[in-house]
Amino acid sequence: MAKSNIISKEFNITTKDFRKTFWRSFTLLGTYNYERMEALGFNYSIFPELEKIYKDDPEGLKEALVRHMEVFNMTVAPSPFVMGIAIAMEEQYKRDPSNFDPSSINAVKMSLMGPLSGIGDTFFWGVFRILAAAIGCSFAASGNLIAPFIFLLLFNVPQFLTRWYGLKIGYYNGNEFLSNMQKSGKMNLFTYCAGIVGAIAVGCMIATQIALTCPLEFTISGTTIVLQEYIDQILPKLLPLTATLIVFYFLKKKVKVSYIMVALIVIGFICGVFGILG
Amino acid sequence: MEISIIQGLLIGLVAALTAIEGDFLGESKFREPLVTGFLVGLILGDPVQGTIIGGQLQLIWMGATGIGLSAQLDIGCGGTIGAAFALMTGSGVEVAVALGLPVSILMQSLNVLKMTALSGLMHKADSYARQGNTKAMARVHWSGFFIDLVEYTLPTFVAVYLGSSVVEGLVNSLPQWVLNGMSAVSVLLPALGFAMLMQILITPKLIPFFVFGFALAAYTDLGMLAITLIAVSIALVMYQLLSNQQSAVASKVDDEEDL
Repeated sequence: MAKSNIISKEFNITTKDFRKTFWRSFTLLGTYNYERMEALGFNYSIFPELEKIYKDDPEGLKEALVRHMEVFNMTVAPSPFVMGIAIAMEEQYKRDPSNFDPSSINAVKMSLMGPLSGIGDTFFWGVFRILAAAIGCSFAASGNLIAPFIFLLLFNVPQFLTRWYGLKIGYYNGNEFLSNMQKSGKMNLFTYCAGIVGAIAVGCMIATQIALTCPLEFTISGTTIVLQEYIDQILPKLLPLTATLIVFYFLKKKVKVSYIMVALIVIGFICGVFGILG
Repeated sequence: MEISIIQGLLIGLVAALTAIEGDFLGESKFREPLVTGFLVGLILGDPVQGTIIGGQLQLIWMGATGIGLSAQLDIGCGGTIGAAFALMTGSGVEVAVALGLPVSILMQSLNVLKMTALSGLMHKADSYARQGNTKAMARVHWSGFFIDLVEYTLPTFVAVYLGSSVVEGLVNSLPQWVLNGMSAVSVLLPALGFAMLMQILITPKLIPFFVFGFALAAYTDLGMLAITLIAVSIALVMYQLLSNQQSAVASKVDDEEDL
């Protein structure tokens, strides 16, 4: 591949290898299990680089493969960033084994799992997925077939970019980048500001996407009273908000999701039969 | 509606795609009802209705994020089977929910079994790692692909191909009051989804923004896109304000250290 750019001359690692790791990183959850979680997926993703780094050192390769069988678990989209760091550290170890403690590789991986999962969850589950689904659903409501494509695109463009640039940034200046972010407090600020978009979007969706109303009507001395009209005068969308906040309260109380769901089904069904909710 | 064996198998493959998406396609969201509704609609010859039902199911399962607590639901398979039955019986999202929900709970328990079994495979991978055999490790990794394929295609095919006439008879015989009840359940359930999203997202400092978003949507006719743009601008302004503040504090600290 003449086109491939050299990433590491010393170990003959090329853009082609990084491209392999990029695609392999999509299989991270392939053998997800309770014991090692994403370990094998992580390992598999960096095979191309490990095989080159330890080309003339079969013992070193075995050691590295065993090393990356340790538990690993994080939100998938930012995982290539950690892979980039791990590759850079493996190179470092190979270069100077006497001054480098290989257990620091796993230590760095472990230390990144929590914070990066937090950011990843906020962005990908909290922001991109909600926005993509909200916009997709508004197309779907009118039966517009563009809906699923819009949804997939809005979610996946950010995720592809995060994976590719995450891998590169992780490799070239992962450690430096992270310590800078953490020292300056930018990491928390970044997550907080993403949370602003997510919070506004969730508030907005509760108002627009939950169609809960009270269809009860009374006829008192000849005039029909529609209860929903009175509710709307207090606060439009009061019922969706109240229902969500009640459920949120029970979630905070650590009530199991399955219990809440059963309760909602029972309450909803009874209220539906008697025409209280609809 | 009678479906052919091919249609049944294709719907089974859509269900398998929802699992393979998570495991081998990097959670690229093919599992979401918006996508599966469209695909199932395409297979059954009514993509428009499929997309509409998919969109409605999407809102109900908005909070099923696959992380933490909500991993108790397999929305991929549940959404696929739910949408398929709703289309086959010519009914609405209530039927999709009523049939999809038990499926999503059932498949999740099957997944618990799968993940336990895969723990066993890890020891095999360990021994290959000690031999430095990356090819064999890759084989172990990809075996997960075939497990997904069989685990999802087979039960889904059986359910939609053999179950369609049973379900159709059942749905047609339901009295109006049951349908009213089911329809109320389908408008109430999204509350759970959004509450779960709040649980991941909303910290005390974000509550004002949550209220702002709700009020904006409840009192105005602004669409989702407009509100998103407003939200992004607010986030950018906040970022600038707060990072200036931070660097001001940081430089102050530096000055003091110099003294």
